[in-house]
Amino acid sequence: MDDLMAARSTMAFSLGFHIIFAAIGMTMPFFMSASHFLYLRKGNDAYLKLTKMWMKGVAILFAVGAVSGTVLSFELGLLWPGFMLHAGPIIGMPFSWEGTAFFLEAIAIGLFLYGWKRMNPWVHWFTGLAVGVSGFASGIFVVAANAWMNSPAGFEFANGVFSNIDPVRAMFNRAWLHQSLHMQLAALQAVGFAVGGIHGLLFLRGKARDLNMKAFKIAMTFGAAAALVQPLAGHFSGQRVAELQPAKLAAMEGHFHTSRQAPLYIGGIPDVEKQEMKWGIPLPGALSFIAHDDFNAEVIGLDRFPRDEWPHVVICHIAFQIMVGIGTAMALMGAAYFWFLKRGKFPPWYLKLLVPFIPAGVIAIEAGWIVTEVGRQPWIIYGIMRTKDAVTPVPGMVYHFYLFLVLYLALAAASAWLLWRQIKSVQTGEEDA
Amino acid sequence: MIDILITFIGASLLLYVLLGGSDYGAGILELFPAGKFRERQKNVINHAMGPVWEANHMWLILIVVILFMGFPAIFTTLMTSLHLPMLALLIGIVVRGAAFTFRHYDAIQEPRSQRVYTWLFGLSSLWTAMWLGIIAASLNRGLIDTQARDPWIAYIRPWWGLYPLAVGIFITCIFVFLASVYLIGETEDTDLKLHFKRWAMSLNCAVVIAGGLVFAVSIAENESLLAAFARTPLTWGVMVLATLLFLAMWLLVRRGYHLWIRAVAIGQATLILVGWLLLYAPDAVNTVQGPLTFYQKAAPAATLRQLMIALLVGSVFIFPSLFFLFRIFKMKRE
Repeated sequence: MDDLMAARSTMAFSLGFHIIFAAIGMTMPFFMSASHFLYLRKGNDAYLKLTKMWMKGVAILFAVGAVSGTVLSFELGLLWPGFMLHAGPIIGMPFSWEGTAFFLEAIAIGLFLYGWKRMNPWVHWFTGLAVGVSGFASGIFVVAANAWMNSPAGFEFANGVFSNIDPVRAMFNRAWLHQSLHMQLAALQAVGFAVGGIHGLLFLRGKARDLNMKAFKIAMTFGAAAALVQPLAGHFSGQRVAELQPAKLAAMEGHFHTSRQAPLYIGGIPDVEKQEMKWGIPLPGALSFIAHDDFNAEVIGLDRFPRDEWPHVVICHIAFQIMVGIGTAMALMGAAYFWFLKRGKFPPWYLKLLVPFIPAGVIAIEAGWIVTEVGRQPWIIYGIMRTKDAVTPVPGMVYHFYLFLVLYLALAAASAWLLWRQIKSVQTGEEDA
Repeated sequence: MIDILITFIGASLLLYVLLGGSDYGAGILELFPAGKFRERQKNVINHAMGPVWEANHMWLILIVVILFMGFPAIFTTLMTSLHLPMLALLIGIVVRGAAFTFRHYDAIQEPRSQRVYTWLFGLSSLWTAMWLGIIAASLNRGLIDTQARDPWIAYIRPWWGLYPLAVGIFITCIFVFLASVYLIGETEDTDLKLHFKRWAMSLNCAVVIAGGLVFAVSIAENESLLAAFARTPLTWGVMVLATLLFLAMWLLVRRGYHLWIRAVAIGQATLILVGWLLLYAPDAVNTVQGPLTFYQKAAPAATLRQLMIALLVGSVFIFPSLFFLFRIFKMKRE
C-alpha cells in the first residue's frame, strides 16, 4: 500500500466508523425524547424505563461519536494538508457552525444525562430534545462541507490560486441540499430500523413485551416514515449528480457510452476493459428518465472523460446497487409497518423479516458514502484538485492506517459489548438509574 | 478582526486548560494508590466530571476549527511537522473519552471491568497530557522545518528532546493540581476533602519544581526559552506573581476557604498560560524558515468575517447554556 492509498484508507475507515455513531447520535435522541414525552404526558413508567435505557445507549454512542469526530477534525490536516490549506478558508464556515451546534449538543447531553430531578421535568425534556436538534443540525453542516467537494463554489480558481473567496456561497453550494436531505433521512431510517428491529426481536422472544412493543413502535415510526420519503430524496440526488458530476453517475450506473434512451441496469458487474455491463438486467430508457425526466434524453457516459478521470466503476456500481436495493426493501417494509400499525397488530413473520434490517440501514449508509467518495475520485475538490496532490508528505502512512484500524476495531467491539450488556440487563429486569 | 480571533483562541485555550485540564488531572490522580478512598474518589470524580465532560472537551475542537478556517497555513504546518505527536494525542483522546464514559455507563458494574476502565482512563489521561505539553513546547522552539525532506529533521526533531518532555511534565502537574483543588469542593466527605487537600498541597510544590525543571532543561539544552524571557520582562512579573500566589494558597488551604482556593488555583494557571502566550506573541509558530504569525497567515477577510459571525452568534447560544450547565451542577447543592 503506498502512502496515498494508506491515507485514503485511513480517511475512509475513520469516516465509515464515525458515520455509524454520528447517525445514531443525531437520531436516537429523538426516539428518546419521544418516549420521554409520552412518559411525561401519560405517566406510564414503561416509557420512563425506556427513556433511561435509550439514554444510556445514547451516552455510550455519543461518547464514541465525539472522540471519533475529534479524530476527523485533526485528520483533515494530518492526512490532507494540501486540501485544507486552500479549502479551510472556503468551507470552514459549515465547520464553524457544525462546531457551534456540536458544542450545544455537548452541553445539552450533560444537562440531560445528569439532570434528572435537578430541574423542571419539561425543561429537562427539552435538554434531551436539544441534543437531537443540535446533533441533527451539525450533521447537516458537515454534509454541506462534503457537498462542496463535489460541487465546489464560492471562489475563483486560476493558475493554482484560489481567490475571491465567498464562504456563504461555498456553504450553500449546488450539492448541499440533496446530500444533506439524503443523509439525514438515511440516518433516521437506518437507526429507526436497527433499534426497531432489535426491540421487535426481543418482543418475539417474549421478554418485557410491553416495553419492547412501545420501543418498537417509536423507533419504527421514525424509521418507516423516513424510508418512505427516501426514494424521492434519492431520486432528487440522482438528478443533481447527473447534472453536477456526470462521471460519477456514469460510474454508478456502469454507463460507458453516451447515448439516448440509456438503459438502467438492475444488478450486473461492469466490465471496464470491454466497457460493457455484464449480467445486468437492462430497463431501456429508464436511466434517461431518472436522470432527466425524459426517456429519450441523452445521458453522458464515461467515454466523455479521459481515462485517468474515471472513478472506480466496479466499486461505484456495486455500492450503488447495494444502497438502492436496501433502500427499496426498506421503503416496502416501511409501508408494511404503517399498514400493520393501522391494523393494530404486527404478525411475527413481519418482526422476523425485520431482523436482517438491523444492520441493513447502516450498510446502505456505508454503501452510499462509498458511492459519493469513490465516485468523486480522482478528485478531492471536483475538477479542481486531485486527491494525490492533497495528501500529506509524511512517510509511513500505512502504519497510521493500521494503528487506527486496530484502535477503531477495538472501540467498535467494546461499544457492541457494552450495548449487549445494556440490553441484557434491561431485559432481565435489573433496574438502576 | 484578527485580534478578536486571537483572543478567542487564547480564551479557548485557557478554558481548555482550566476545565478540560482538570479532567485530565482527575484521571491521572486515579492512577495513584488511594487505599480506602479509591471507590469514593472514583464516585466523586464521576459525579463532578460527568455532566461537563463533553462540554469541556469542546474547547479543543473550537481551537482546531478556528485554526483551520482562519489560519490554515498554521494549521497545516502543525499537522504536518508535528504529525506524530498529534497522532499520539488523538489516540489518547479516543481512549480516555471512551474509557471515562464506558466506566460510568456500563450496565453491569463489576470490579474487574471497572478496574480496566479506570486504568485505561488514567493512563490515557497521563499520556495525552504529556503530548499536549510536548506539542505546546514544540510550537516555538524554532525547529519546525517546512522545507526539510529528511524524515528526522522534518517530522521528529521538532518535538524531540528533554525540553518538550519537561514541559509535558510541567503541564501534567498543573492539570493534576487543578483537579485536586476542584475536587476539594466537590465532596462533603471530610476525610476525602483532606485527601484532596493533601494532593493539592503536594501538587502545588510539584508545579513549582516542574517549572524549575523546565527552566533548568531549557538552559542545559540551549532552548529559546530564556531568550524569549529576556525579550518580554512582563512575563517575569507574571511568573513571579504566579509563584507568590502559591504562598496564598498554603494559607487558604489551612483555613479551608474552598472557593478562594479555587480562585487562586485558577489565577495561577491563568497567569502561567498568559505568561507563556506573551513570551512569543504574535508568533504562533516559530520555524527554521522564520515565524508564522497570526497576522501574516490569516485567511482572506471574507472568511474571517464569517468565522467571527459564527463565533459571536455561537457565543450567544453557548455561553448562556454553559452557564446554565455549570449553575445546575456546580452551584446548586441539595
